[in-house]
Amino acid sequence: MSMAPVPRSSKRQLGLDVLFHALFWASALLVLLILGGLIVLMATGGWKALTTFGLSFFDQSAWNPVKDRYGALAPLLGTVLSTVIALLLAIPLAFGTAFWLTNIASSRLAAIIGTAVQLLAAVPSIIFGMWGFFTIVPLVARYVQPFVNHHFRHVFILGPLLKGPPIGTGVMTSGIVLAVMIAPFITAVMCDVFGAVPPMLRESAYGLGATRWEVMWKIIAPWSRNGMIGAIVLGMGRALGETMAVTFVIGNVTSVGWSLFAPRSTVASLIALQFPESPAGSLRLSSLMALGFTLMLLSCASLVVARCLRGGRQ
Amino acid sequence: MNHGPTTLAEDVADSGEEAALAVKDLNFYYGDHHALHDITMDFPARQVTAMIGPSGCGKSTLLRIFNRMYDLYPGQRATGEVMFDGVNILENTVGLDVLRARIGMVFQKPTPFPMSIYDNIAFGVRLHERLGRAEMDERVQDVLTRVALWNEVRDRLKAPASGLSGGQQQRLCIARSIATRPEVILLDEPTSALDPISTARIEELLDELKEEFTIAIVTHNMQQAARCADRVAFFYMGGLIEVDTADRIFTNPRQKQTQDYITGRFG
Amino acid sequence: MSETAQQMARATKQRWHQGGRARRRQVLDRIATGTSIAAGVFLVLVLLSILWTLLSRGLAGISWATVTHSMGPPGSGGGLGNAILGSIIQTGLALAMAAPLGLFCGIYLSEYGGKHNHFASVVRFVSDVLMSAPSILIGLFIYQLVVVPWGHFSGFAGAVALAVLAVPVIVRTTEDMLRLVPTSMREAGAALGAPRWRVILSLCLRSARQGVLTGILLAVARMGGETAPLLFTSLGNQTWSLRLDKPMASLPVAIYQYAGASYDDWVQLAWAGALLITCGVLMINIIVRLSARR
Repeated sequence: MSMAPVPRSSKRQLGLDVLFHALFWASALLVLLILGGLIVLMATGGWKALTTFGLSFFDQSAWNPVKDRYGALAPLLGTVLSTVIALLLAIPLAFGTAFWLTNIASSRLAAIIGTAVQLLAAVPSIIFGMWGFFTIVPLVARYVQPFVNHHFRHVFILGPLLKGPPIGTGVMTSGIVLAVMIAPFITAVMCDVFGAVPPMLRESAYGLGATRWEVMWKIIAPWSRNGMIGAIVLGMGRALGETMAVTFVIGNVTSVGWSLFAPRSTVASLIALQFPESPAGSLRLSSLMALGFTLMLLSCASLVVARCLRGGRQ
Repeated sequence: MNHGPTTLAEDVADSGEEAALAVKDLNFYYGDHHALHDITMDFPARQVTAMIGPSGCGKSTLLRIFNRMYDLYPGQRATGEVMFDGVNILENTVGLDVLRARIGMVFQKPTPFPMSIYDNIAFGVRLHERLGRAEMDERVQDVLTRVALWNEVRDRLKAPASGLSGGQQQRLCIARSIATRPEVILLDEPTSALDPISTARIEELLDELKEEFTIAIVTHNMQQAARCADRVAFFYMGGLIEVDTADRIFTNPRQKQTQDYITGRFG
Repeated sequence: MSETAQQMARATKQRWHQGGRARRRQVLDRIATGTSIAAGVFLVLVLLSILWTLLSRGLAGISWATVTHSMGPPGSGGGLGNAILGSIIQTGLALAMAAPLGLFCGIYLSEYGGKHNHFASVVRFVSDVLMSAPSILIGLFIYQLVVVPWGHFSGFAGAVALAVLAVPVIVRTTEDMLRLVPTSMREAGAALGAPRWRVILSLCLRSARQGVLTGILLAVARMGGETAPLLFTSLGNQTWSLRLDKPMASLPVAIYQYAGASYDDWVQLAWAGALLITCGVLMINIIVRLSARR
């Protein structure tokens, strides 16, 4: 083997290679540390509340700053309820829109509508909040609530679910606003999933004489089931953590009850509203942190589920 | 509708055989692109007609006209006449579901639906007929037997069809398309994704199926056309160059272009 | 003879006949198609309704004074100038922090993070978690990390919070875009004797620059409209303050404060601000989509 001296420049280059590798690696590590820090700081911030109240933090409905007693039940229930309503409304909206865009509309029309839907997904959440407060809230207060109060008041189960003062804010309204927020997001993912169906599979179903809807419902939907669930879970993650849009329309009352039209609060809206009144180091702030930690866990869990389902295919 | 039967009668008189599909002055356009020029030919009933030619010559396009698959795509249109059972199927009054039940199609690659083997067969049947359980079971067994798949899958009818091998899947797709009791079966290079053994089984199957069905097959494989087909049509650049019996085409074609193609001088 | 022809015609008609089943299926198809189109149209109408609400309520509030005057007490003829400036400063600073970090991390994941690199897989997953993490929690996190140790709210803390939001977006697009660069380009570069860092920075990154830029623009659009994380970090400010170690105004927070106020001129300003911010964000998205199509 010849021992030709390595040229100076090459040595420098090798050094630079190592240096850049280290730089890239360090950046990746920093991203990892950000999430680690987020979870650790949330946990330590909420530690005081969790040790004070123990597990009863999660089944207490009281949020009482005067007595310094805090329970997570009311905001958690509000979060879950408004997310469920949002999903119930958003899934058919997104499924229908994606069906239209991928299987019915001409490519030019699909491009235009697709752009509009993407733009809707890009509208900042505070704008959804203001729009919901000035458009949806009066609509619900003036038309929807009197209507359901009048017709369903005495109906079994539905009556208590739908009653409430006709002020327009509440879980139902926030569910509606969240639905139109997450629907474009779910639509985009569903369009990708439906687009991945082999054209030949679609054509063989058409070749047997199936209608568009039969092809969609019996062939494309089962074929892309996992991807669709993944899209829905991702939308759910957004609805769970949404703050500004909800704060405007949910009414912000920490109470527990069956009515969907009564003002409630969610984890995120409660954090946003109570934070300015919570002095550093107080039990109240720690309770908010504990709520945030819980929300983070929910968000992580939904992402893990979405990921497993999306990776599950093939 | 009125002139339908007479046209059919004339065609029968012309070819001396009963034509299942009679194509006349057919032109096809992908948007501005003129893909098929003035095609006129017959597909005799209960015979295998093979369509050969270099890729892009329009043979697959012609096949996809027969079940109006091009309707799925805006911008594609056909003019002219394709008579099938007394009706010009290019007319908009034709019910596409009936048409596609009567003219089945099998694709280049096996396309099992994301459901069980049984449901794959039942899917098409359920679209058009209301059958009881026993009748459906019988239909499934019948078509699976005819494609020689019954013995291989009888114990796992409820298993997903995606678990079958490629050759089995393709036979399942053929079974699926004959389950709706069509009169014509269109095959678009049905063996191009299969190994030689599976290919041989499909070819044997075609021989049996032609007793009952009219078969139109697109193939890029000239040996296959020679083995299976009664009649062969050679297409080039969107035009029909020549159509005749398989013997004639492969031994003594009339056109020089056909000669060049089958001797491998181009394509 | 003519009778047999008639019989034949009748038999043909029978074979082409679409039964009740077919008609029922077609009706179901029409209903499903109509409902789906209605769903899509509904979403488009929501977008139009939002734009109409913003234009009809916000346009009247936009004037030269809106962008040149600072926020002030009700009735004093204040504007949103300081909030707009604050938003630009914080977004710019956040970008200066997030862009290199996101780029480098994306490069690591794409160039060094093969299938067997478990560290890279973890980082990729973590980046996805960050991308979908509720933005208000990012605010709480930076509050704990920066505001509490410093003892006061600051524009810098706001910028850090926005940066944390932007990083995962940039990481994801950078990685995706670099993966589209063909391996042959890397090999060609290496065959010329170029060291790996040069191949990455001057070949791969250059050929992927359009996509990477898109990711950065999308990140800017996301940061520009975020409110929740700024509430606990830069807090908001009524005056022209350029100091990063003091609370700083921002457009979304100003909108949030003014929208719920009971003074007409504040509400008017909130709508004007909402119109401005939406136009900005949508404009960036339209530019991105148009350039992506080319």
